[in-house]
Amino acid sequence: MNAFQLAWKNISGNAFRNGVVSLCALLLSAFALFTTLVMRGAETSLRLTIDRLGADIVVVPEGSEAKIESALLMGIPARFWMPEENLHKLSAVQGVDVVSPQLYLATLTGAECCSVSDMFMIAYDPGSDFTVQPWLKGEMGNGLRLGEVVGGNYISATDGEQNIQVYGYLVTLKENLEPTGTGLDQTMFLTFDTAYDIASKSKSQAKSTLVIPPDSISAALIKVAPGNDPHAVAIEIMQNVPGVTPIESSDLFQSYRKQMTGLLKSILVILSVTWGLSVVLIGLVFSMAANERRKELGVLRALGATRRFVFQSLLAEASLLAFFGGATGLAVAGLAIFLFRKLIMVSLDIPFLLPSPVSLLVQIGVGLLLALFSVNLAALFPAFKISRQDPAVAMRE
Amino acid sequence: MITLDEVTKTYPLGKGSSVPAIRGVNLEISQGEFVLIVGRSGSGKTTLLNLAAGLTQPTSGKVMIDGTNLWDLTDQQQSFLRSQRIGFVFQFPSLLPTLTVLENVILPTMFSSKQEAAQAHDRATGLLQKVGLADKLAAYPRQLSAGQQQRVVIARALMNQPLMLLADEPTSNLDEKTELEIMDLFHDLHASMGITIVMVTHMRQLVSYGTRAVEMANGQIVNNRASYEVPHN
Repeated sequence: MNAFQLAWKNISGNAFRNGVVSLCALLLSAFALFTTLVMRGAETSLRLTIDRLGADIVVVPEGSEAKIESALLMGIPARFWMPEENLHKLSAVQGVDVVSPQLYLATLTGAECCSVSDMFMIAYDPGSDFTVQPWLKGEMGNGLRLGEVVGGNYISATDGEQNIQVYGYLVTLKENLEPTGTGLDQTMFLTFDTAYDIASKSKSQAKSTLVIPPDSISAALIKVAPGNDPHAVAIEIMQNVPGVTPIESSDLFQSYRKQMTGLLKSILVILSVTWGLSVVLIGLVFSMAANERRKELGVLRALGATRRFVFQSLLAEASLLAFFGGATGLAVAGLAIFLFRKLIMVSLDIPFLLPSPVSLLVQIGVGLLLALFSVNLAALFPAFKISRQDPAVAMRE
Repeated sequence: MITLDEVTKTYPLGKGSSVPAIRGVNLEISQGEFVLIVGRSGSGKTTLLNLAAGLTQPTSGKVMIDGTNLWDLTDQQQSFLRSQRIGFVFQFPSLLPTLTVLENVILPTMFSSKQEAAQAHDRATGLLQKVGLADKLAAYPRQLSAGQQQRVVIARALMNQPLMLLADEPTSNLDEKTELEIMDLFHDLHASMGITIVMVTHMRQLVSYGTRAVEMANGQIVNNRASYEVPHN
């Protein structure tokens, strides 16, 4: 038998201590994993969305900033328009390399002529697009033809078919994009031609017509010429193109970032308070448990155990309890996040993407380390104090 | 073997006051003796035993085992010496409740370099057989009577083949019949193994089991003579 095996045997001997310490470790690790998964998941989603967007600057009609963020992040369909002639003005701005227009559309809500309800659709111009097409060519070898769409990760056609009915018009789902955890997962991408074709045929085939105002676009994506600062270009746009708001990709989702920062601060405060209270509580419980076992520890010293052995043995017990409590907490938190991720997105109003297995393992490891560190820190003083005690005094009390 | 040289032990009571438990005691115990330390409660018997084992530090004076001052040693050296040379039998139930009888007996080998695991298992089984508990190897302490528990403690005390056994009121919680059985066991161990035994007891009638009786009162040795010279009541 060694110190670890002895500790293993001993942890079965004090249900109260084990319960409290394990529960604290469980709460700490679960809370830590929940926080890091949600916050990192949200951050990853934002980053992926910006990457997917692929533009240095997004230009939208003045006052539509919040709408585009909601559309891209939460999949809430947005409808806003600006004159198409803005494209020429934008092209003329110094530092602009490429300008590509997009149309933001939505399917009807609960209409028989649509197999999907209230879904966000982004139409792009294949002639100038530099964001969707490169990806399509990489995945499919060519761009989309008339009547074809690519969908976000959650878009699927019914029962193995490839067709989705939109405004009574059957579009063919060619491919699905990788998940982002944002509204893009519930968005369909199509060409201008398809969008206009749907709009034209919707007049006779749909319950309501898909309206695309003439000579209008929803947004313009801008690629800045090499060597130019996107911020300086955005200022140029503001000064030279009236009625629009340029949003640098680094500034995109600022309101969500602020919301997340606020949320993170609140969570960190709660986590810190929980951590502090847990450490104090575990320390008290360990002190009580160690006091109850004074005689037993005195006997061990009489049998030849060194102070160090007693100290290590108590910390080994703490580590075992932290490990089991922590592992349970991580499993509970992981499962809860997996099962309720959509509810979390809605209730916290943030995007969320499950991390990769490697990232998940790292975060689980961090959660376990936090539990081990906290419990050992709490047990440190009681273990040290009891190990230094005179064995004769320990056995007498 | 054990020498106490002008040993004093004082316990602090707080607010600067203290109470003397042992006052200038000189005692020498040789190999092969069976010494009974007798005296009333509070006379300092248990403190004397703890001092002899290095379980508490003297306020002044020296405690020596085979010429080595215990308190010149590091904690590690002192602990190792205890594990190699001394076996303890306590007054209170001292078995670890979460370990089986066999595991309790094997426990001291954790702190000693004397035995391999397989050897330890065989020796522990043999010792439990010797104390009449060969059928209780897998039992837990709570499943044993007080007398059986004390037998396990004696087996544990012998596990590392110590040169001496220190016993603190080992029969005080036992009924008369069990008390006699345990004392017979100590007597047999002394007779058959030649092990040195130092036993604290407040029962003068047990003095006849030993070779020498040391009587204490008020923290001092008031009598130190051969057992046969001591009146039994």
